[in-house]
Amino acid sequence: MTQLFLSIRKLRKAFGAFTAVHDVTLDIPKGEFLTFLGPSGSGKSTTLYAIAGFQDPTSGDVLLQGKSLLSVPSHKRNIGMVFQRYTLFPHLSVAENVAFPLRVRRRPEADVKRKVADMLSLVRLESFAERLPAALSGGQQQRVALARALAYDPPILLMDEPLSALDKKLREEIQAEIRRIHRETGVTVLYVTHDQEEALHLSDRIALFRDGRIEQIGTGEDLYLRPATEFVAGFIGNSNFLAAEHLESENGTASVRLADGSIVKGVKATHKLERGQKARLMVRPEAFRMRPVEGNASLTVEIVDMAFFGDRRRVVVRTGWGDEIDARPISDSTDRSNVGAVAGRQIFFDPAAAFLFPAEQGA
Amino acid sequence: MLLDYDRLGWLKVALLAFTALAAAFLLLPVIFIVLLSFGSSRWLAFPPPGWTLRWYQELFADPSWIEAALTSARIATTTAILAVVIGLLASFALVRGQFRGREVLRGLLLTPMVLPVVVFAIAIYAFFLRLGLGGTTIGFVIAHTVLALPFAMIPIATALEGFDKSIEDAAIVCGASPLEAKLRITLPSIRIGVFSAAIFSFLASWDEVVVAIFMASPTLQTLPVKIWGSLRSDLTPVIAAASSLLVALTLALMIVTALLRRKLQT
Repeated sequence: MTQLFLSIRKLRKAFGAFTAVHDVTLDIPKGEFLTFLGPSGSGKSTTLYAIAGFQDPTSGDVLLQGKSLLSVPSHKRNIGMVFQRYTLFPHLSVAENVAFPLRVRRRPEADVKRKVADMLSLVRLESFAERLPAALSGGQQQRVALARALAYDPPILLMDEPLSALDKKLREEIQAEIRRIHRETGVTVLYVTHDQEEALHLSDRIALFRDGRIEQIGTGEDLYLRPATEFVAGFIGNSNFLAAEHLESENGTASVRLADGSIVKGVKATHKLERGQKARLMVRPEAFRMRPVEGNASLTVEIVDMAFFGDRRRVVVRTGWGDEIDARPISDSTDRSNVGAVAGRQIFFDPAAAFLFPAEQGA
Repeated sequence: MLLDYDRLGWLKVALLAFTALAAAFLLLPVIFIVLLSFGSSRWLAFPPPGWTLRWYQELFADPSWIEAALTSARIATTTAILAVVIGLLASFALVRGQFRGREVLRGLLLTPMVLPVVVFAIAIYAFFLRLGLGGTTIGFVIAHTVLALPFAMIPIATALEGFDKSIEDAAIVCGASPLEAKLRITLPSIRIGVFSAAIFSFLASWDEVVVAIFMASPTLQTLPVKIWGSLRSDLTPVIAAASSLLVALTLALMIVTALLRRKLQT
């Protein structure tokens, strides 16, 4: 058990009849980079704002090293935060923006100067100290915001989709910066995003939010390789879902019948399912092969489209019952399949790399 | 666009002529007044037979004119300060607040701008007589503050609407108390609106004549009231000189506003 640092206890936030956060409970060890991932409206930002003190939770508690934060007003929580929108103070220079939290804390001038210099070098913007925010690019502004949020050595840094306004290339650049800064400072980071790639790139652990609840929490690998629910499997990475009927489970493996009557054996069974229960079989695009391998299941399909991407091919196929599958098999120089060639071609996948989920209500 | 200036063709000429005519119609009386104030004719004759600074000398030699100007300046300055402070507080409530009757309150605060001034003047005259505020500086300031409030509120509320509240939240997370964040971050960020509000509300009081006539007493007169009174007793060019100074100050303030805006926006 890691040392108790930040704990969220049964946090609930209701806006009238709508409950944005449902009894979320979380423990975050010191120094961790934890990402709240989820679609918009899933409660991830509301949870973050409750930690920052901008939202009073309806019930539940937020504890830092055993002490409740809820009765502490925002400005005394000593938390760092980077916002989704650009929030540099427009009338102050970059250096004065970074100095602001130190000035409100009445730190001596010499300390302020040294700390501002340290912070600007941490985000590599030393030469921009005297500029006004309006003269900076969006990426530079968010780096200054990061320097400002870290200037007073807060125990926790909150980041609310800080890169969502930037273009893809810049986003990746700053993600690398954020990783480095997290490594160098060791600050505990809570990061909110709806971008799963960003979450995978940055985080030690990811808490996947859905409808105000945490659907699954774990490392990126946990979520990708061992998704707890169909929602997780669908949200993290690309996935293909095939309608199936559960036949029987034994020793952690299950047999299912697909829509065309073919039977797949040896599927990983992580959920308890009844005999004959409707289920969904999830197969990752990269789990497909174009040629048979010992023990693989096969699907009879028609090839709709095929493209070559160097290390992988992208093959879109249609099953006999009309589902489209996006497959990304490893490129194989001997494979000369052509689009639209023969209906009745077969593609293959390892059933142990497939996941079986109970079909959701209304899904 | 439906009306693109560059594609108007010959209509462009007509449009320019019309604009020039409208501008002349608005400006000519002012230009006449200024010219007359330098004219040597005692009867405000135009064109003036000669030029003189005599009326300005008479103006500055007469303590009643100086006093009226000082009274105007005092009342306008106090009004501007009050209107900006109240306008600032009201703007925060109207822009940030979520309460029942917010739109009603907004309408109420803007009423003085659309209400016929004479109606307001009569109402406040009768009311202040009863309170014993008629003919007092306080009464003057209160009446003018009510009139100036819309002119203070509109620029401040507009600036505040354009200011992202996340910036204030960021200051609070940084450790500033909500009040400190407003004073050190929000206020400087909306300063263009605040300056405009100060100048507009100063001018709203400075050249206001209708309410001022009702509020004035023989011992308390603002410059516009003094001009109005003199106009009725003796038609002297000193009035033209006083009017020219009134126009000059207004113009100077408008120029300052424009320069400040340009400086602050870059």
